[in-house]
Amino acid sequence: MEKKVVVLNVNGIDYELYINPKTLLVEAIRDYIGLTGTKRGCDTVSCGACTVLINGMSIKSCSVLAVQAEGYKITTIEGLEKNGKLAPIQEAFLDQGAYQCGFCAPGMIMSSQALLNENPNPTEWEIREGIEGNICRCTGYNSIVRAVQAVASGKYTEVKS
Amino acid sequence: MSDQVNDPVLCPVCGKKAKTGSAIDCARHIFGTGDKPHRDWVNAQGLSFIDLLIEQATTPGNKSYQILAEVIEKARAKK
Amino acid sequence: MNKYTVINPHEPFRVINTHVRNIDGIAKVTGRAVYTFDVKLPGMLYGKILRSPHPHAKILKIDYSKALEIPGVMGVVTGKEDTLGVKQGIWRRYKDLCDEQILPVDKVRYIGEPVVAVAAITEEIAEKALDYIDVEYEVLPAVFEPMDAIKKDAPEIHEGFERNINVTRHIEWGDVEEAFEEADYIREDWFKCGGQAHMCMETRCAVSSYTPDGKLTIYHSNQSPYYMQALMAGVLGMREGDIRIISTYVGGGFGGKFELDGAIFCSAVLSIKLKRPVKIVYTREEDFIATKRRTPMYYYTRTGVKKDGTFCAREAKVFTNGGAYTGMGATALYLTGFFHSFPYKWKAYRYDGYRVYTNTLPSTSMRGFGAPQAMWCSEQQIEWIAADLGLDPIEMRRKNAHEEGTIIPGQATIASCGIQQCFDEIKKWIDSKGQLPPNRAIGISACGFMSGGIFNWFDTPYSFSSAVVTVNQDGTVELNVGAQEIGQGSNTTLAIICAETLGVKVEDVKVHSGDTDFNPADLGAWGSRQTLMAGNAVKMAAEDAKRQILEFAYAQSGLNIVYDLDIKDRWVHAIARPERGEDFVKVVRRAIRGKDGQRIVGRGYYTPHRKGMISPAYSYMLQAVEIEVDEETGKIRLCDSLTAHDCGQPINHLGLIGQLEGAFSMAAGYGYLEYMPFEDGKLMNPNLVDYKVIRATEMPPANIAEVDTYEPEGPYGAKEAGEGLTNPTAAAIGNALFRLFGIQIKECPIRAEMILKALKEKREKEQQGK
Repeated sequence: MEKKVVVLNVNGIDYELYINPKTLLVEAIRDYIGLTGTKRGCDTVSCGACTVLINGMSIKSCSVLAVQAEGYKITTIEGLEKNGKLAPIQEAFLDQGAYQCGFCAPGMIMSSQALLNENPNPTEWEIREGIEGNICRCTGYNSIVRAVQAVASGKYTEVKS
Repeated sequence: MSDQVNDPVLCPVCGKKAKTGSAIDCARHIFGTGDKPHRDWVNAQGLSFIDLLIEQATTPGNKSYQILAEVIEKARAKK
Repeated sequence: MNKYTVINPHEPFRVINTHVRNIDGIAKVTGRAVYTFDVKLPGMLYGKILRSPHPHAKILKIDYSKALEIPGVMGVVTGKEDTLGVKQGIWRRYKDLCDEQILPVDKVRYIGEPVVAVAAITEEIAEKALDYIDVEYEVLPAVFEPMDAIKKDAPEIHEGFERNINVTRHIEWGDVEEAFEEADYIREDWFKCGGQAHMCMETRCAVSSYTPDGKLTIYHSNQSPYYMQALMAGVLGMREGDIRIISTYVGGGFGGKFELDGAIFCSAVLSIKLKRPVKIVYTREEDFIATKRRTPMYYYTRTGVKKDGTFCAREAKVFTNGGAYTGMGATALYLTGFFHSFPYKWKAYRYDGYRVYTNTLPSTSMRGFGAPQAMWCSEQQIEWIAADLGLDPIEMRRKNAHEEGTIIPGQATIASCGIQQCFDEIKKWIDSKGQLPPNRAIGISACGFMSGGIFNWFDTPYSFSSAVVTVNQDGTVELNVGAQEIGQGSNTTLAIICAETLGVKVEDVKVHSGDTDFNPADLGAWGSRQTLMAGNAVKMAAEDAKRQILEFAYAQSGLNIVYDLDIKDRWVHAIARPERGEDFVKVVRRAIRGKDGQRIVGRGYYTPHRKGMISPAYSYMLQAVEIEVDEETGKIRLCDSLTAHDCGQPINHLGLIGQLEGAFSMAAGYGYLEYMPFEDGKLMNPNLVDYKVIRATEMPPANIAEVDTYEPEGPYGAKEAGEGLTNPTAAAIGNALFRLFGIQIKECPIRAEMILKALKEKREKEQQGK
């Protein structure tokens, strides 16, 4: 298939890529742009390790083509921190130990962030449903639920200066 | 902890003293080691190493170990 | 959601057991952590592996000429042409048990076994090249179950292993026959325990780079860089020191990543041939079908007790489905037999274990190391015996449980044991629940686990653990350890021990691990060894460095020698007069000057001595799991749980909670979800759609009651946490089912159809009774 120029806006920066149109978004992000925070854990859209945000909503980046993401705002794990300051969800993950080996963490954090974007005050069950598509083999999820709850409770709200 | 035998039985193959030095411990050592020299020694006593092992594996009790322990004692007496 | 209670807490430390964030956390939550999966080297090629479609076959001919013609294909390797054909294994002390050629020369023994490896400039081209390789096989008869493989006419899988018996293990103490004579009641049962996939989020992967100076650098996702270095040296005919293993961040291990795998071996062989870096990443399917798994077991167990519930004797016979190769399965065979006796006192005990080769995916260690299978059988049978005799199952367990000072003849002496208080906590929790809703019940299960193995079948001359602590002139500390961080938090735990011992803050300590070039050898992260063994080594190294600093402090203080000096919170002071002291950094600077400019270096190591056959220390735990069952569908839902847990002195507070919750989720998966069906040697669900692991919606609260004891052999009294808790859950779920319906399920994982069948049989029996 003929290669094609695709412009992807990732973490606020436009990247011009010359790629095969069959390239998956996750491949574009990892292999062409070189942002390796986003992981892959399966070949069947089952594990959620590759979750990114598209216009604030979570999507498994192995389930869409790069060309389909053109024109949208893509956010990866690298895009959450601002000037070295971590996002509340990242701080909460640290405080709760909501990751262990860390391989699912980027995807899990993006799913959690998407959930909070959509529903700033989720119930415990809504949190569990929100991250159901993400597998974590290490933590047993409860620390992740606690982290999302901590953010929802306003614990990490920035003090406006 | 466990009583040591005064005149310990040494393995007829490798000369090792197994645990307490009793014949039954020597039998356990032979089954546990289970390499070719140990198997051959058991077979040379007119037994079948593998049959004894499967017997031990598939029936309750400790019959095969006792049979082998007796044979070890006999072989020792012969010396 | 979760409740965390501490029973008899110790006096507070400065760093130990405080809220310390994982020291690798920032890298992990920001995407900065570079895993082997992310490594990209200049000029790197991508490798793919052609795998055997047959469970048992001779390799007659391999023709890869067409593959080489594909543009972008750089090279192909086969076992016969490009390897030394070394049969390797992790039981290096026993030559017979070194039975696996990662690229077999003439015979394949399971579906998915590597046969040919290809390197190309892209992964797609390498993948495509596999289709152009012709392998001619002579298909041999195959056997898949241990009870079939020991039959007289079964096919021979490895030459010289009669009836396919790979390893036998025997454990015995006391007079078993006599002790059974004393019993008023004897019960015997046969159980079947399933396999389980490690299912690490990061699949097996490696990047090997061989350079013309004869050195090989390998990035590899593993649990023990030293083992990899030593094993690779063995198979490649190189010196250990010429191989460097780098494993900075590892995406999970769970017992499945400390043997050689196809990724590391094939990438190295390709790199040596092509003199370019080669990366191999397993797909999820490859990770399922061509790695190893938890050992499936057939368990016969016979138990004799007195009328009052006193345990007399137990005899167990176990056949494990070893699959095609030995791996760590030989250790699992021993440990399952040992832990089958836990956590109880038996007058006499006998175990015969047989590991049987079959033409299936090899089985090996997995979190719990044989003990989850042992407890699945033991703890259910004990529950049934209590019911048969009309005894309270908690009280019957309690009166037979280990205690401080219990001697397991010839095996171990228990130095610390908090299980009595675990019984109290579980009883309180169950009582507090009162009447449960219909279709719900609570099951309990007890167990214990080791804190690192004593065995050295790997046959290394190195200490089990080593550490080097270097204090810089600004008071920062370099901690070099061979211990491996795989997510369990060992870097943080060891940093905490170092900071506590040296008297500095945890942020002063930088941990260097996962690189064999710069760190001392260590057996790695398996068998729950790192907190106790590496922890002791770190403590010793930090004490060594501290002693050197304090010697200078003493010399210049002019204090009477009866005074003791100490360092806490970067403050060097007399213990009797803590206000009289000096800043740590100032003292360190002077001390370095006094050493003619040399940094302060402390060394530590640990090798267990006079600690029995198995482990220096044992953790204890009791778990209660509340389940709900839909009688229409047979589906289990976990509702709530409490684990009462004795790991000695907790070191890493957050890490401990995470490990206990995580172990519970994996153990629950083993209990009722993670099923590995094989048909003619082929795994039927090698993907994450069909292989079910626990997801967030299925995970119940995992409440913890931490019973703090003091383990004399552990650093600051610490022992194992996080692996042992994989052991009780399957049995606890089974026991809840027994409580709920009176059904006895003897096979795990418990599937819905098994529950439905048991309920149907029960109804039929009841109707017949009428």
